[in-house]
Amino acid sequence: MGAIGFYLRKLYSIFRGEILVLPSRVAVLLFFLFVLLFPVISSDPYLLRIMILTNIFAILAASWDLLSGFTGQLNFGHALFFGVGAYTAALLNLHFHIPPWGSIPLGALGAVLAGLIIGIPCLRLRGTYLALTTLAFPIILLGIVYAVPDLTGGELGISGFARLSHSHVANYYITGLLMLGLCTIMWKITDSNTGIIFHAIREDELAVRTAGINTTRYKLLAFCLSGFFAGISGGLYAHFMRIAGPSTLEVSMSFTVVIWGVFGGLATIYGPVAAVFILFPMLEFLQFWSEYRTLMFAAIILLILLYMPEGLLPWIRDKIEKECPRCKLRNAAVRKTCRACTASLD
Amino acid sequence: MAVNILISGLISGSMYALLAIGFSLIFGVARIVNIAHTGFYMLAAYCIFFITEKMGLNPVTAMVAAVILVTLMGLIVYMLFIKPIREHEAAVLIGTIALAIAMQEVMLLLFGGSFRSVPSLIGGYFVLLGVKVFYQQLLTFIVVLLALAAIWILLMKTRLGLAVRSTAEDREVANLMGMNESRVTMIAMGISVGLAALTGAVVVPLTIVSPFMWTDPLIIMMAVVVLGGLGSIKGSFVGAYMMGFAEALVVFLIPKGAFLKGPVALSVMILVLLIRPEGLFGVAFEEER
Amino acid sequence: MKKITFGGVVLMAVCLVMGMTFPSWGANVIKIGVIGPMQFMQGKGHWNGALMAADEINGKGGIQVGNKKMKIQLVKADSNEFLNITDATNAMQRIITRDKVDFIVGGFRSEAVLAMQDIAMDYKKIFIDCGAAAPELCQKVADDYGRYKYFFRGTPFNSLYLARTCFIQMGTVGAILKKALGIPKVKVAIVGEKAMWVDPMIKAAQGLIPKMGMEVAGVWRPSQTATDVSAILAAVQSSHAQMIFTIFSASVGITFARQAGELKIPAVEVGINVEAQKDGFWQATQGKGNYVMDMNTYCRGVEYNDLTKPFVDEYVKRFGVTPTYTADTYAAIVYGLAPTIEQAGTLNADKIVSILEKRVYKTPGGRIKYMVDKEGRQTHDLTWGPGYLTSLGVQWVDGKQVGVWPYHWVAAKGAPEITYKGIVPYTIPPWVIKAYKK
Repeated sequence: MGAIGFYLRKLYSIFRGEILVLPSRVAVLLFFLFVLLFPVISSDPYLLRIMILTNIFAILAASWDLLSGFTGQLNFGHALFFGVGAYTAALLNLHFHIPPWGSIPLGALGAVLAGLIIGIPCLRLRGTYLALTTLAFPIILLGIVYAVPDLTGGELGISGFARLSHSHVANYYITGLLMLGLCTIMWKITDSNTGIIFHAIREDELAVRTAGINTTRYKLLAFCLSGFFAGISGGLYAHFMRIAGPSTLEVSMSFTVVIWGVFGGLATIYGPVAAVFILFPMLEFLQFWSEYRTLMFAAIILLILLYMPEGLLPWIRDKIEKECPRCKLRNAAVRKTCRACTASLD
Repeated sequence: MAVNILISGLISGSMYALLAIGFSLIFGVARIVNIAHTGFYMLAAYCIFFITEKMGLNPVTAMVAAVILVTLMGLIVYMLFIKPIREHEAAVLIGTIALAIAMQEVMLLLFGGSFRSVPSLIGGYFVLLGVKVFYQQLLTFIVVLLALAAIWILLMKTRLGLAVRSTAEDREVANLMGMNESRVTMIAMGISVGLAALTGAVVVPLTIVSPFMWTDPLIIMMAVVVLGGLGSIKGSFVGAYMMGFAEALVVFLIPKGAFLKGPVALSVMILVLLIRPEGLFGVAFEEER
Repeated sequence: MKKITFGGVVLMAVCLVMGMTFPSWGANVIKIGVIGPMQFMQGKGHWNGALMAADEINGKGGIQVGNKKMKIQLVKADSNEFLNITDATNAMQRIITRDKVDFIVGGFRSEAVLAMQDIAMDYKKIFIDCGAAAPELCQKVADDYGRYKYFFRGTPFNSLYLARTCFIQMGTVGAILKKALGIPKVKVAIVGEKAMWVDPMIKAAQGLIPKMGMEVAGVWRPSQTATDVSAILAAVQSSHAQMIFTIFSASVGITFARQAGELKIPAVEVGINVEAQKDGFWQATQGKGNYVMDMNTYCRGVEYNDLTKPFVDEYVKRFGVTPTYTADTYAAIVYGLAPTIEQAGTLNADKIVSILEKRVYKTPGGRIKYMVDKEGRQTHDLTWGPGYLTSLGVQWVDGKQVGVWPYHWVAAKGAPEITYKGIVPYTIPPWVIKAYKK
């Protein structure tokens, strides 16, 4: 009894000392709770469907940020990973009867392979060249898809394979837990040594090379990791929608991912996730104005960019937190003095 | 057959050249990747459609009016949406994507999703070396060459051109040398959009007008620019014709695979980049510290 | 402050939307969802047809369900299926679970309808497809009747019959050319856009054309969005083909017709050209698409039966354009659903399905009978043939579409000869006559 009380109190003090201290961490906690408890609030299948798709696309957006935000290799063809993951999972399931929990990781491995294939030519390219080259790859794959319709189903895509699970709520929890888990993993990656190297590569690759680090390996690693997570997202999408078609490889899908990434804030991981959670349901709820929907979407993007060019979440974060001038620790904006070194925050 | 390939390649190459040079210009001067470039091309096409079909004026007036209108629109859009966020390259990127989408939606709202077309300036065809060539295609080719010549003279022989070129090479030093960098950028933007509008005006009788007509040329244009080397006008010119011929080769040599012309052209681009990462004539950018 | 205003606006917007989409509880209405690409002609056709149907039925007081009369309430849903499959499935989900529709009509793009079909079957809602021709859709009904039985095809007949009809039309024109121009063996150039649905048609055409006594001059596959086909046209001309068998569904149909007309290629165009079905084709080709023949369902002045003219005339009067086949949502509701509901006396889906699939009924497009496949299984697919559905062969002549097929058509030995009211003979383009008449 005493031991449990001890651990509970410890948990509480950690909670109060680490999480409640910063508004951004509280926000993350609330977000986790929201995602986990959503079906309790509402079991409307339509809303669940929107949230399931939001979860899937959040993984996709976060994986893009891992590659483009952190290593600075702007990927304009992210739909390639998504499409390869979707098609591979669908084909494996349809022809070899591998169940979803097997076909999706295998599909992701297929996307990793795709990541290697496009990462290698892109090693020598920089900046805009890289961005525009990556744009080309999904289009080439699209051409191949149309050229071998017997295998890939051409414009109709592949359909008639197993569904993710049998109820919307189960689907939601699968995608939700995966999203939370994978995004946390991605965030942890960026917080680790590898992540620091990624960040450094973006800032100044030459300097990283002079420090003796094999940047080629890390850049390829970024492509593969990003491809893996995006491939999982693609596999989930295929099994949820029960159709894997050329729409997963379209240029508009690549562009949408870039929009989510930059809108949410580059190099944050949580930024694109939040962007998807805001933009995707918003786009859906604007249905009542179906003719103006996409126009409003574009207008909102433009307006946000004017006021918050760094992205939405960095802007919000700057508003709710302040950095202490002496010890560089982040504090809640309402505080007058730093919580660690008691220096004045103004 | 070889004549067919030559002519077809020349025609499509000319169109890509016009588009690519405008795109390359604004990138070279201001490092702005203007994804909405072909959006302006589409705007010009619809302008002409509107003026000739709904207002009944003759096509030449329509062309001139379209070019002027669209250039003005481009400048306004630049001042409102792009200039404030110029420092953040990523934001400019998706800003222009959003702009292009907005243009598409507005056209969809105003004109609906059906396909339209615009009358040719000169109808009919003639026979050259056994191949039927439309007069409009010949006109396009001539206009493109004239426009290219005009741009070359502008850039090489005038003071303004000097300012544009030096700003493209090194923005800060150009500023130090007394050139008003933001004014030069605006002028470059105007020229760039004007070129896009001119392309629309000249090419549109040969193509179908729809709110989604900006996506296909965009991809090939970006491939051309990358192939030729970003920021290099000469590179865009050469790259455009290379792509045009690559496409023509595919269409003629593999009639059953004519739809593959896009992916094949893009593969050519990737192959060239593997060998020369800066493109054919591009300058390897030293990363700014 | 900006953050609060922005957040506040979003919150307000969300509340507004939630309020507006709150389903209305009309106990005495039958809700029919109309789902389609509403920004395009096809979706507009879906909606217009349904609107006409609802107005007509409600004008008569509604549908008799058991002992009470219920009016129809239409629910419009933009599937945006040309651009985004996700949107289509979201829309289908929304009208079923939020708007609580009882029946659904519409759909166009096969990839989207496959996905939407699954959702409708999950909720056991009757879904009448008015646009997609993929045979797979009805194959599912045969393979898994218990789950897919709520799916019916409203229009068009499936792509296998589409192919058969246009081959017949091609054969007819070939015979006309042979007789009028004195050509011993007609050469046919096959030009089909690169799309999956075209592949089996090309294969079939390559097999059938020799059997019809004609010769295949070559096969060309332009891209769906090609803007310049002069290369293909040059090749077709040098192959000395007198007939071009077109298989187009996208914008290349316009480009091809325009350039062929402008270059005065000495060959006639016949086949499938979806863009040529629309009234806007004439402007889109700048008037150069003259004498192009294509398959179409409705044509002003042509009557399948006594229901056709009132439908077409009313549609033209109300919406200003000739109806295309997606407007058969009208027939699906007025002649398909409404009488079946009255006969069943209930809105129970299972009961309606069992009655509807056995019915044989007249519509403005012909007569609908649902097919049973070779193994005797119900497919809910449309029967093709004289006396049922045949569609029309329509030719553009000087700015107007006129019906030219079936004209004294005998489907099989011993079958009656068919010529619908309003059909006129086919016109050979003058420059083709000049090129071949020696």
